[in-house]
Amino acid sequence: MAIDCGNIRRAKPLLGTFVEIQASGASEADVNAGIDAAFDAVAKVHRLMSFHEPDSDVSRLNQFASSHPVSVDPWTYEVLRIAIELHFRSRGAFDITIAPVLQALGLLPGPGEGSRDVPRARTAHQVELLGDRLVRFSGPGIGIDLGGIAKGFAVDRALDALHGFGIANGLVNAGGDLAAFGPDPQTVSIRNPVDPQKFMCGIRIRNEALASSARRFDPFRSDETTNSAIIDPITSEPACAIQGTTVRAPSCVIADALTKIVMIAGTSAADLLEHYRAGALLVLADGDIQISSDLKDQVSLAA
Amino acid sequence: MTKWVRYTLPAAAIVSIASPAYSMQYLSIAEAQKQAFPSATSFSEVQAGRVWKAEAGGRAVGFFIFDRVVGKHLLIDYAVALTPAGAVHSVEILQYRESYGGEIRSASWLAQFVGKTGGSPLKINGDIRNIAGATLSSTHVTEGVKRVLSAYGNRLR
Repeated sequence: MAIDCGNIRRAKPLLGTFVEIQASGASEADVNAGIDAAFDAVAKVHRLMSFHEPDSDVSRLNQFASSHPVSVDPWTYEVLRIAIELHFRSRGAFDITIAPVLQALGLLPGPGEGSRDVPRARTAHQVELLGDRLVRFSGPGIGIDLGGIAKGFAVDRALDALHGFGIANGLVNAGGDLAAFGPDPQTVSIRNPVDPQKFMCGIRIRNEALASSARRFDPFRSDETTNSAIIDPITSEPACAIQGTTVRAPSCVIADALTKIVMIAGTSAADLLEHYRAGALLVLADGDIQISSDLKDQVSLAA
Repeated sequence: MTKWVRYTLPAAAIVSIASPAYSMQYLSIAEAQKQAFPSATSFSEVQAGRVWKAEAGGRAVGFFIFDRVVGKHLLIDYAVALTPAGAVHSVEILQYRESYGGEIRSASWLAQFVGKTGGSPLKINGDIRNIAGATLSSTHVTEGVKRVLSAYGNRLR
C-alpha cells in the first residue's frame, strides 16, 4: 500500500484570480493527479463561463440566444438553473442579466461602456431553459454575466475532482471563495473589508463552503477600498449599506451567490439564508459586525 | 429561525491580528519542473536560473521558464511550461509574497511561515492559514505569461 504523502498545496492563475488547491491523505501520485484534475475542472468552468472569452457558452448565449436556442454544456445549464432559482427566491436581488448594466457602468467591456443611460436588469425570467441543454432569451437586448456565481461553482467541481482520487482532505480557494472536505476543521482568516491589510476574524469550517464579498479592493492599484463592485439590479446603483460579507453554505456555488444577495439585502436575507442552510457575517457601514446565530460559534473575532 | 447577533469590535482587537505581510511557498523550481513534465529525465539550463530544456531519452519534451512579476504590493514567482513547438503547456505559481509598504509589523503572523519551504510537509489542518475576503487580481501574471511567450515562444528549439 502506498504511503500517504504530506499536504500538497499548489496555485494557478485562473478565473481572473489565484486558485489554490491543497490536498492530503492519499499517495503522492494520487494527490498530484487529483490536484491536476481539480485545476482542469476550474479551467473548464473558466472556458465555459467567462464573459471575456469569445467562444465561451456565456459569449455564445449573449450573441445568439435572443434569436435562437443555443446548446450549452451541462455545467453551464446547471449554473443557469441555480441562478434563475436564486433570482426568484431573492426577489430580484440576484440577477445574471446584470451584464448590460455593468457594461454601461464600465465594469464589463462592451458596446454600452460609459453610457449615461444605465439600463435595468430584473430580466432573469427572460432566460428560458428549454430542456436538453438548450437556452433561449425571450427578448432582445439581454446579456448575462455569471461572474457572481461561476467561481463558487468552479470550487465545487474542483472538490468533486479531488474526491474522485480518494483524497481524504481537500481545500480549494478561488480568490476567497473556498470549500473544504475532510475530517479536520479548517480555519479561514477573513480580511477586514474596511482595511484589507488587516484580518478581522477566523471562521472554522468543516465539509462546507465559505465565500466573501466586499467593496472592491485591488491590491495592485491601491490600498484604498473603492465603491462596491456589487450593483443592485433593482436600482442599478452600487450596493453600499454593507461593507462586506462572508457566507457559509453547504456548497460554494450557493455561498458565492448568497454573498451578492446579502451585500444588497443585508439582514433581511435571513429567510433566504435559512432556506439554503447558510449563515452570514456582515460588516455594517459603522464597522459593527452582525453574525447569524447559527454561524456565531464558528467565528473567533480576535486572535 | 435565523437571528442576528451584533458585535462592536474594539479597534485594538482588529489591530492585534493585523497582518501586513503574507507569503506562501507552493513549489520549488525542481518540483514545478517535475509537475510540468513528469516524463522528463533531465532538465538542462539554457539560460542560467531562468530557462530549462526538458528532455526525455535525448528528445526535447518542452521548455520551462521561471519568471517573476512585481505589482505594487505583490511579488509573485511563477513558471511557464512551453511545448517543444512553443505553446503554453501550463502555468504554475511557485511563490507569492504580499507585503504592504515593506513593513513587517506582526512577527507572530510571519513566524508561522518560518521553515515552510516546498520541501517540508505541511499538515492539512493548516499551520499555514487560509485567507479569504479579497479577490487578488492575477492580471500581472497573465501579462507576464504573454511576455514570456513573445520572448521565448519562437526562439527556443
